[in-house]
Amino acid sequence: MSLFAIEIEKTYLRWRTYIGFAVILVAVILLEVIIKLNEPQMARAFSGGLSADFIISGHILNAWVITAFVMNSLYIHVPFLIALVAGDMVSSEATSGTLRFMLIRPPSRSKIISAKFLAMLFYTATLIIFFGILCVGIGLMLFGGGELIKVQPGMPHIVVLPARLAASQTGLAFIAAIISMSVVGALAFLFSTLVDNSIGPIIGSIAVVIISFILGNLPFEFTESLRPYLFTTYMGIWQLLLDNPVDWPMVLKYALALLGYDTVFFMVAYYVFVRKDIKS
Amino acid sequence: MSETILMTEGLSKRFGNRWAVKDLNLDVRAGEIFGFLGPNGAGKSTTIRMILTLLLPTSGSVKLFGKEIRRARAEILSRVCGIVEKPDFYLFLSAYKNLELLGSLSRKVTRDEIFEALEIVGLKARAGDKVKTFSHGMKQRLGIAQAILTRPDLVILDEPTSGLDPQGMKEVRELILRLSREHGTTVFLSSHLLTEVEAVAQRMAVLNHGSLIAQGAVSELMNDGSSYFTISASPVDKALEMLRNVDWVEVVATGNGIDVRIDSRRAAELNRLLVTSGIDVSAFAAKRTLEDYFLKITEGASEA
Repeated sequence: MSLFAIEIEKTYLRWRTYIGFAVILVAVILLEVIIKLNEPQMARAFSGGLSADFIISGHILNAWVITAFVMNSLYIHVPFLIALVAGDMVSSEATSGTLRFMLIRPPSRSKIISAKFLAMLFYTATLIIFFGILCVGIGLMLFGGGELIKVQPGMPHIVVLPARLAASQTGLAFIAAIISMSVVGALAFLFSTLVDNSIGPIIGSIAVVIISFILGNLPFEFTESLRPYLFTTYMGIWQLLLDNPVDWPMVLKYALALLGYDTVFFMVAYYVFVRKDIKS
Repeated sequence: MSETILMTEGLSKRFGNRWAVKDLNLDVRAGEIFGFLGPNGAGKSTTIRMILTLLLPTSGSVKLFGKEIRRARAEILSRVCGIVEKPDFYLFLSAYKNLELLGSLSRKVTRDEIFEALEIVGLKARAGDKVKTFSHGMKQRLGIAQAILTRPDLVILDEPTSGLDPQGMKEVRELILRLSREHGTTVFLSSHLLTEVEAVAQRMAVLNHGSLIAQGAVSELMNDGSSYFTISASPVDKALEMLRNVDWVEVVATGNGIDVRIDSRRAAELNRLLVTSGIDVSAFAAKRTLEDYFLKITEGASEA
């Protein structure tokens, strides 16, 4: 059994891992059913003030519009669900003492930390894929398909994605969301190598995400100069993929920035873990 | 003489300004049960952590099977297994699954090997139960099962009877002896209990405040002067008065019994003296506590 397979097995044999899946299941069903039950009001809300200037026919609320709306939870509770597992990957084993045993076996520390990091990425990907399948699946059942119409708040245009592009670009948006959420996971993972308890890395990483979001949105000269260096600036990469036309150079820039943060967080975690004295 | 399979040279570890282990030279030979004795906080666990690469030594080296551990880590650790401080497991998994996952870190382990290891420690019937339902003693035994699962040449056990009741301690000692006798495994046994080391080990090293204070055959080190004895006698007052009047007897303490220090060769003579003086002697036993032993060997060192 490879180290990666061992880590995957350990991760998916813990009930804690399924908290994220359960929360997403409940949240998506609840949200989409509530929208369905209040469809006329929601349709008015989604179309904003457009009905004053345009004649809107057909179903404005469809699976793709609903999915784009529900994906906003990537800023809210999904980072916490990622941190819950990623922040526990190393520290929980340090707390329980099983890390001691792992580190006195033949596999090197570098292989162990790499396997754990890959397992964290795998978990992040499965959670986001589950989220995507659920959003689209329930959306199609309740609302059917159609064009993806997005009204950008504060922007002088509306985005209309034809039905033939809506599915593929929503798929790409979820792939981008995996990259986006992997940074939160990598940060929690890094914190997990620094301490021997699980609460610290989970709360610590979420605190960094929140502070970074706040800093990135404050309208001051100083905070605006910080914006390019905050990873949260690039976390909305998935939104770029729901535009028409897609600004691909911008998508690439965001993806590279996020992957850069992933790499930096992993390298620091690696350095700390490989040199760490195991005293607990 | 058997081949040396574990050797430390000038092994030291400093935490801040405090030396946890200083200039330690150990020599463990193939096939033996080697006792690593010392009170709590003596530096035993720190030494084991350095041997097993959990801690980086401040200075000195560790050689296992003739090779420097830092240079041939994977090769060496595939032949070694151990429990550091206490055996820890994934509590949400069964005993079987724990052994499967932890054993896989060394090599592929078969179902038969896992059940054999569980059978040796008497846990085969509980193979499918989650470890969180196990008692402390069962976890200790599972720790030994995990340590022997991959048939290592050297097993390092750190206080394996810690927290166990007398029956549990006896079972673990028997397991250690079986490991050595039936499988020819070398066992490095860390303990703060002199009786435990004396019961199973052939050779031992004694550590105090991070420094080695004795190393050699258990029989030689122990017979070096068992000069402390506890006497249970009645009437106590008469016995005490008599003992204080014998110039070669030093009464060191009184409590449940009378503790005396004498030349061990005169123990029978003292017993006879008490009985012929009309004192009933219900017990006359050599003291075997670590504290007495330390007192004895540190006194021996200062006299020398």
